[in-house]
Amino acid sequence: MRPPLNCNGIGRRSFLQLGFGALGGLSFTQLLQQRALAARSGIASPKAKATNCILIWLDGGPSHYETFDPKPDAPADIRGEFKSIPTSVPGVHFCEMLPRLAKNAHKFAVVRSICHKDPNHGGGNHYLMTGAPTPVPVGCGAFVSFHPSMGSVVSKERGVRGGVPAYVSLPSMSRSGGPHFLGSQHAPFVIGGDPNQAGFRVRDVTLPADISEGRAHSRLALRSSLDRMERIQESIAEDPLTGFDQSYQQGLSLLSSEKAQAAFDLSKEPDSVRDSYGRNDFGQRLLLARRLAEVGVSFSVAQWGGWDHHRGIFKTFKDGTADRLDQGLSGLLNDLEQRGMLDSTLVLCLGEFGRTPKVNKDAGRDHWPGAMSVFMAGAGIPGGIIVGATDPKGYYASDNVYSPEDFASSVYTKLGIDPHQVLHAPGGRPVQLINGGKLIKELFA
Amino acid sequence: MSHSHNRRTPHRWNPHRTVSARLPENRRANRALDTRSPPAAFRTTTVIVVANPCLFTTIAFTPLAVKPHTPSQLRRALFPAGFVALFLTSSAFAADSASKVSFLNEIMPLLAKAGCSSGGCHAKPEGQNNFKLSIFGYDPKADHREIAADGRGRRLSFAAPQQSLLLLKATAAIPHEGGARWTVDSETYRTVLTWIRQGAPFDPPDGPRLQHIAVEPRNPQLAPTQDAQLKVTATYTDGAKRDVTNLALFTSNDKDLATVSDHGLLSASERRGEAVVVVNYMGAVDVVRPVVPPAKRLQQRDFAPFPVHNHLDSLVHQRLEKIGVLPSGTCSDAEFLRRSALDTIGRLPTTEEARSFLADTAADKRLRWIDTLLADPAYADHWAVKWGDLIRPNPSRVGVKPVFLLDQWLRDAFARNMPYDAMARALLTAQGSSHQLGPVALIRDKRDPLDASSFVSQIFLGVRLECARCHHHPSEKWSQEDHQQLAACFSKLRSRGQGISAPISGEAELWWYDSSARGLLHPDTSAPITPKAPDGPEFPLRAGIDPRTDLLDWMVRPDNPFFARAVVNRVWGEFFGKGIVDPVDDFRASNPPSNPELLDWLAADFIAHRFDLKHLMRTMLASAAYQRSSLPNASNLDDQRNFARSLRRRLPAEVLLDAVCDLTGVRESLAGLPPDARAAQAWNHKLPSEFMDAFGRPNASLECPCERERKPTVVQSLHLMHASALQTKLASPTGRAARWAASKQEPQDLVNDIYLAAFARHPTAEETAAASAHLAAPAADSPARKEAVQDLVWALINTAEFVFNH
Repeated sequence: MRPPLNCNGIGRRSFLQLGFGALGGLSFTQLLQQRALAARSGIASPKAKATNCILIWLDGGPSHYETFDPKPDAPADIRGEFKSIPTSVPGVHFCEMLPRLAKNAHKFAVVRSICHKDPNHGGGNHYLMTGAPTPVPVGCGAFVSFHPSMGSVVSKERGVRGGVPAYVSLPSMSRSGGPHFLGSQHAPFVIGGDPNQAGFRVRDVTLPADISEGRAHSRLALRSSLDRMERIQESIAEDPLTGFDQSYQQGLSLLSSEKAQAAFDLSKEPDSVRDSYGRNDFGQRLLLARRLAEVGVSFSVAQWGGWDHHRGIFKTFKDGTADRLDQGLSGLLNDLEQRGMLDSTLVLCLGEFGRTPKVNKDAGRDHWPGAMSVFMAGAGIPGGIIVGATDPKGYYASDNVYSPEDFASSVYTKLGIDPHQVLHAPGGRPVQLINGGKLIKELFA
Repeated sequence: MSHSHNRRTPHRWNPHRTVSARLPENRRANRALDTRSPPAAFRTTTVIVVANPCLFTTIAFTPLAVKPHTPSQLRRALFPAGFVALFLTSSAFAADSASKVSFLNEIMPLLAKAGCSSGGCHAKPEGQNNFKLSIFGYDPKADHREIAADGRGRRLSFAAPQQSLLLLKATAAIPHEGGARWTVDSETYRTVLTWIRQGAPFDPPDGPRLQHIAVEPRNPQLAPTQDAQLKVTATYTDGAKRDVTNLALFTSNDKDLATVSDHGLLSASERRGEAVVVVNYMGAVDVVRPVVPPAKRLQQRDFAPFPVHNHLDSLVHQRLEKIGVLPSGTCSDAEFLRRSALDTIGRLPTTEEARSFLADTAADKRLRWIDTLLADPAYADHWAVKWGDLIRPNPSRVGVKPVFLLDQWLRDAFARNMPYDAMARALLTAQGSSHQLGPVALIRDKRDPLDASSFVSQIFLGVRLECARCHHHPSEKWSQEDHQQLAACFSKLRSRGQGISAPISGEAELWWYDSSARGLLHPDTSAPITPKAPDGPEFPLRAGIDPRTDLLDWMVRPDNPFFARAVVNRVWGEFFGKGIVDPVDDFRASNPPSNPELLDWLAADFIAHRFDLKHLMRTMLASAAYQRSSLPNASNLDDQRNFARSLRRRLPAEVLLDAVCDLTGVRESLAGLPPDARAAQAWNHKLPSEFMDAFGRPNASLECPCERERKPTVVQSLHLMHASALQTKLASPTGRAARWAASKQEPQDLVNDIYLAAFARHPTAEETAAASAHLAAPAADSPARKEAVQDLVWALINTAEFVFNH
């Protein structure tokens, strides 16, 4: 209910205020005060313990055979070139290309029984990134958005914490990783570039190369003395400058938060830690994601493209792809564990689907949504479990079969978000966050 | 279901009685029914007994397990229970239909009112817990089948109607996620129970159908916090009328002003103004507009201080007078100059334009400036961007060349001020090669006639028929037939060539009208669908006449209710920040114009001036309504719908980027465009640009690419603060900052020039003092002076005054 209006006229000055000194303008001293405050308070907000999520997206669809669901007893044209190896969990075998993960198998869960029916990249990405299938079939090259992504929903639920955005995507936004009707303020904050490069900087979050900190402060001081357009203070007037001031303020907080700034700077990390993730763009992105989770980023997506192995899958795996995945994922897992962060960090690794059982004529595997393997760790997920199974040849999920809706419901529940809430699209159309969807119960044991 | 049972059912369907008046009689009816309940032995529905005399209780479970003994048993065995009932009632007992509970007219409304068939519950695309209803009950036959027959017939128990799953769930007698929707002693319960006892029939084909509803009172006048009871009367095809107030759904468009209870009780809040209440009953819609009049009646003389430039202003004032709102004053010359330039041609006034306009003392200078703007070459680019948002297909789908050609066609059309009716005709009736004629890209993209229907209705008629593609619009009259018949106008086309071949569609495609083309067939009956305009005439197919031509002839008729209003409203939205109907492409009874007289007059004037867009824009730009201050007064503070003040708007991505480029004197280099091109000349939303991504471009990959996000984001503020591309522009040795720094002008004169360039105004004394102190500190032409100028320009770009049109 809006407050009743005084129709006899209220003084103009009572709801107008010069921009000077208003929220939008922040003096140099204010900035310093804020910075000091930010440093003192750190991220010790009540919500700091909330579970964060790092989602590793292997774009193109990783083969389940060559990762977590090898089929050593299947015919050669199905099992492929690689052998399976035992893991730290008795009776569980992974592909031999993931030796480090095999040693750490007791620390994470693999769901072998998530499946769906969309064999296109566009549709598969949408289904797993949002928990909703596309309402119409979409082409393979499609970047479609019919439903808010999980990251955007988390952003809406959590908001900005410690001056950092809630939802970050590296190095680009995943196809369907957008906010849809939640609005662009819940789009991912994209950190492009290669963090393995020596001069890596996060665009727009650090000062341009030739701008010193002192000059930046003097600019801000000048701006705050010149940003004089009148703000309409009464919220009932819905002045869009309010939103502008708020987002400018958020930008300034991000700059003034030493912790946030430090999080973007990988050079602060000891070499031993950087090495443990692998000195490559993927490994360093995972390290960056961990640093972001530490300062309050609620949901990070680390994208790795090129997993669409229609040809030469074995050669590609041997040429470093498997090694990078093995090292990066194990490095992240162990680092989170050593820092005591694993309980409050949900780690997911998946793509849009699995790959065809029969190796094709180009020594590749094609799209196959009938089966896929999803890596899940942290946030109280029991380690060393294999959820569900595929049939003996790996064609279809056969035991304890789960849907992408079940997957998304479980992720939301782990993050403390009700997956069955109803959102409202512009115009008031009610939208189920997740349509149906039961929990993957094994993850909550 | 037994024959005699049907016959003895008391007369129930009497639309002349109101819901409340029916109560006692129904109680009697139920008692009477109870005495005829099936023997207790057959109440258990889970037992399947072959050749049971009460066969109908088991058929629906396992029809094939039943061994038929008599012809009527055979008939029952072949059909699920619901169909048996349908069959019986529609043949032998049609005469008795009046004595039955009507599925269409009673059961469906109850399910809707209880929320069962809402989008969040059983009408979700996948249903809820395996029970699926059509959304808002748009498909009664499917719903009947779902309730009476599907789910292996377990939802209804004819042997023990009270044990029907439908009733047990709805009363939460057994666990129901949706909780209890009604109680055992409710009227609703009894009605459903009676219907089940009658065999859960579907209505006979000749039974009465709902024709329309009417709500009284039409425009209730309320005092603050006062209540008023609405009454909804349904009229049926047999002429019967019935009070359906308790079954209708009510939605207030302004719940801060007025709320409506489930039973139609309207309650005003403490505020004043006008609300719109949409009343929906089984797809029929009516709208009432409750008014809480202003405490103090305004008189015409209260408007004396506010100028009236043209008839548009009179119409706006009439509306403001009615709702007791006074307009804000007139904006300054500088505000008008900057606002009108950004709105009309998408660029800042130059320093020289600003200087001379501000110095001009002639009374008609604003009118002359409007003519200057409308003659500016940038006009075509600016409006081509806007129309590109609306109609530009995804180049990855239809090909780069067709999209480029369409873009060039649009720019040319606006440059020549092509009349809007001719533009629409050329765009929508195009035939030929996609690689020669721009508009062919549209039909190449909307190659499915159903897509063309959604597109044409939303973009050119302002009506979102797309919703009707899947279901009857929840608060609107449009049906799937409307959508399909409009689609049929685009179905007599043939194409030859590559088709759509992702990712590039590189080859040309030829499109032409062919009267022998198969046309659109009805998905259920496969009968040809006759082309028809929404709410308009049918266009019977005739050889040699492309039905698209018929459609366009209808669209451009002076009495067309949609075409001119849609575009006039769209252009209004661009200049005033909000449509008279808002969203601008969502005309419907439940979203009425804030000022219908204004919209009607603008449309009539537009038609009278031969669809001349520049005439339309001149009328708007010249009005006092457009030239108002953006600062509110006490009476219009909370009003954004009646154009009592100018609404502030963030500059769109292209306009803001061009403004930054103009102010820094350094162009952005965009792939696929000449080096000196402006962002407004980008012909493709996918050209890489960090700046435009940050500030929002239409995403051709989204379902509706035409929406532009105007909400501010932290990404935008960070980009304005720190983009290295901006710093490169500021520091460019050939840029304006370098020239200003090298200038021998006095600091205060420099500041004046920079303010004219950025804000189209002179700085205040305070601003001059602050900014020139900043510039004067370092010596002229020193490196420090360069940095000081850069910092000043940076600071201005980062203000709200720069980023917003105000």
